[in-house]
Amino acid sequence: MKPDRRSFLGVALVGLWPKTDRPISGGFVNESDRAGHRLRGRGPFAAPPQRVRIPLVVVGAGMAGMAAAWHLDKRGFRDFVLLEMEAQPGGVSRWGENDISAYPWGAHYVPVPGPKSLLIRELLEDLGVLVNGKWDDRHLCFSPQERLFLHGRWQDGIEPNLAATARDHEQYRRFERRMQEFRATGAFTIPMERAEKEPGLLDRISMADWLRRESFDSPYLAWYVNYACRDDYGAASSATSAWAGVHYFAAREPDEKGPLTWPEGNGWIARRLAKRLGCYLRTAAMVYRIAPEGARMRVATEAVEYVADCVIFAAPTFLAPYLMESAPPVSHFEYSPWLTANLVIERPPRESGIEQAWDNVTYESPTLGYVVATHQSLGTRQDRSVWTFYWALTDGPAARNRKLLLGTDWHYWKEAILDDLARVHPEIRQCVSRIDIMRMGHAMVRPTVGFLSSEERLRVARLNGPLLFAHSDLSGFSIIEEAQYRGVTAADRALKRLGGSR
Amino acid sequence: MSAVLFLSVFLIAACGLIYELIAGTLASYLLGDSVLQFSTIIGSYLFAMGIGSWLSRFLNRGLVARFVAIELMVGMVGGFSSALLFLGFAYGHGFRFELYALVIAIGILVGLEIPLLMRILKDRFQFRDLVAHVLTFDYLGALGASLLFPLILVPKLGLVRSAMLFGIINAVVALWSTYLFAEQLARPATLRAASIAVLAALGCGMVFANQITVAAENNIYADEVIFARDTHYQRIVLTKWKDDIRLFLSSHLQFSSRDEYRYHEALVHPGLAAVPGARRVLVLGGGDGLAVREILKYPSVQSVTLVDLDPEMTRLFSTHPLLTPLNGGSLKNPRVKIVNADAFPWLEQETGSYDFAVVDFPDPTNYSLGKLYTTTFYRLLARHLTVRGLMAVQSTSPLFARKTYWCIVETLKQAGLEVHPYHAYVPAFGEWGFVMAGMAPYHPPAALPQGLRFLTIRGLPELFDFPGDMAPVTAEPNRLNDQVLVRYYDQEWSEITH
Repeated sequence: MKPDRRSFLGVALVGLWPKTDRPISGGFVNESDRAGHRLRGRGPFAAPPQRVRIPLVVVGAGMAGMAAAWHLDKRGFRDFVLLEMEAQPGGVSRWGENDISAYPWGAHYVPVPGPKSLLIRELLEDLGVLVNGKWDDRHLCFSPQERLFLHGRWQDGIEPNLAATARDHEQYRRFERRMQEFRATGAFTIPMERAEKEPGLLDRISMADWLRRESFDSPYLAWYVNYACRDDYGAASSATSAWAGVHYFAAREPDEKGPLTWPEGNGWIARRLAKRLGCYLRTAAMVYRIAPEGARMRVATEAVEYVADCVIFAAPTFLAPYLMESAPPVSHFEYSPWLTANLVIERPPRESGIEQAWDNVTYESPTLGYVVATHQSLGTRQDRSVWTFYWALTDGPAARNRKLLLGTDWHYWKEAILDDLARVHPEIRQCVSRIDIMRMGHAMVRPTVGFLSSEERLRVARLNGPLLFAHSDLSGFSIIEEAQYRGVTAADRALKRLGGSR
Repeated sequence: MSAVLFLSVFLIAACGLIYELIAGTLASYLLGDSVLQFSTIIGSYLFAMGIGSWLSRFLNRGLVARFVAIELMVGMVGGFSSALLFLGFAYGHGFRFELYALVIAIGILVGLEIPLLMRILKDRFQFRDLVAHVLTFDYLGALGASLLFPLILVPKLGLVRSAMLFGIINAVVALWSTYLFAEQLARPATLRAASIAVLAALGCGMVFANQITVAAENNIYADEVIFARDTHYQRIVLTKWKDDIRLFLSSHLQFSSRDEYRYHEALVHPGLAAVPGARRVLVLGGGDGLAVREILKYPSVQSVTLVDLDPEMTRLFSTHPLLTPLNGGSLKNPRVKIVNADAFPWLEQETGSYDFAVVDFPDPTNYSLGKLYTTTFYRLLARHLTVRGLMAVQSTSPLFARKTYWCIVETLKQAGLEVHPYHAYVPAFGEWGFVMAGMAPYHPPAALPQGLRFLTIRGLPELFDFPGDMAPVTAEPNRLNDQVLVRYYDQEWSEITH
């Protein structure tokens, strides 16, 4: 669009005006590292005054734990509790709400499941998202879905297109063909464990190496694949197993333009599950020890000690050694540090070109961009909004990034976020009134090179005794379908084990 | 003496350059493409100056009188050049011809100035000094003018007054020349009187410059603007030309009072008259109250609920003395209830059901407005219709935006409704499209209310007939997660307007 003279002059004059930034409030929220440190420092913990005999305990009310509970409940099994260390269930699908909108603190969408993804379809059918085999339009992401800021302007879609050369296009096409070939092999499934073949050679190299080996050298394609890895796995493509990298592109056959999303992201699912499972759920109930007692397991919180026949451990697997003396080795489980922020936007920053999308990404930014929580509103205009800003710290070793993340103050991150947003919205500082930041040192597991085929991962995943592991990290990547599958699988094993105790 | 002479050179040089700059600036303002305009204006102007210089050889007697006369002519033509061009652009047809005619006339006159002056002065100075001094001050004047023009004149005075100011300077130079060279003039008094007359004319011009600009601008924007306000949601502009009132929302024409009855009769009656005894009517959008005016022609209608986002819009059309006659005071009618809300969320929480609904939203120019044209929206609206209820949807032009139009039809169909597309000719818009939709089959009405100006029972079937160039084309339905409509609309209208 060509600006007319008057508006051009107007902008030029406004540009000279002295600007006053809004005062911005906020702080760190949902800080869990203190509880985590207590756990890792092994106490001190109060001895539980009460002892309860129960057939089954599910530890952790993230998506995996809630899926286990959802499945048990559907099978008519009611003799269990679901313990959550935080005050709010949901794990990385937690959510928040203010006077403008609900908003996510982590996972914020579900790719539209294909016809073969029966388990996740069952859950979404239960929640009324899938009705008579059709997706309810209100839960599908509204147009426009995605845009990318590239060469000083916004383009439609995230795959870089502005100023793409014939070579870039050729490589996009060839890449797409390769992914179709991989899809046709049937080796890339969701859940990943259903695959007919083990992750073989592809798990031995990184995704970046695979691209090089296949002579993909388009910088646009490299950025795009790296973005996909950072966004879904919290790891750069050079640190991601090529099998996982290919899985991202080759595993899905969606039957509808998506994804599924809600103002509070997957918190929408979490809060409905939490409501439905309210009778089993105990929040602010941190499990600090799990120990065998004869054939049974003792699960200790500061309020109650449960004596259970079976325990589903649906908390992140790396925590196991801090809770149990004879935990299986888990040293290969690597997690990425993440930061999410929710920004209260008092007025949308002025911009030209294409309209704001649900997901807004900046080319070559270290961050992942922002998602607009009010995007799914049915109204034609929103003056105030909430933007959820995502940042997986993927540049450099995880331990160093974790230290940086947890060792710096709110002001540091607030400024870093605003600086990043100012690249695309120069006047962002006059539009934001509040920035709340959530730091997660171990936000999600990384499918590092070799991890998927590691004996260690397989051993934990296959455990089939009184202690069952169920976190999505057993799959090597943190997506809702994997969490649900692990939870449901563990629930089935538990039911089989408990046999006649119903 | 010589200082005053060279000051004259300085001033007339400055004046000459200013006229050239004004012509170039105006041409680029009004015609665009500034590189082209400036190049051709400067070229023509310099060429005309050459003609003037050449013509100077034919002037032999009474040089001073000629010089004074030329100064006065430059002052008049140059001084009024800007105003003439503005008005010419607004009211005339041959703007380019006028532009170049003026540029060449001024150029010729300015081209005469310096050769004449040098010949007048040739006996007072050594030739060598004369050339050096005259040209030095000539170029200095040009420098002064070129700095003054963008930094002070345009921002402080504007183009019309700048030209006049320099016209006055030309006239002043003429006047004082009659004193400087008085001994060489046969009848100085006549020239002085003429100078004063020119000064007076330009002085008046300066005083009324504003009115001239306003008159020109009003005409550039076609009609007199009688109301303009930026509300929280849009810019409302009302224009009036003779008896024609037009409403623009964010610069999109909404109606022209001369033919809006065609639009609103077509929007309301084919549907509402087909629901005998309709009692409750819903109007979404349409804050101008014109559709409501048509609805109130049915005595059976007990209540009309009008939902419009912008309270300023409904307030304006409830109270403005020029507008209430248009809608017949419909918004003040006790049967009408006004709700200022965003239609989609409002409908979500609304529990009432309606016998007839009018959907009169702005065209789907963006994804936000596009939500109001989706399967989800129509399904929701259908749930608020009574069993035999109907809705009528404004659906852009099936002629100019054929795919857009049939996309809306397809969307209503996909929402599970029975659709009846129709169209009408509205001069201000061209051929315009509507869709009637409902759960029950549609039976055309047997009678229409009294006093309609456009629709007749006999003519109704014609509305539902689509000639070849508007006939159905296949289009995807518009859905919340895939708004094809906005893309169709953008494509089709940009093909027309660019």
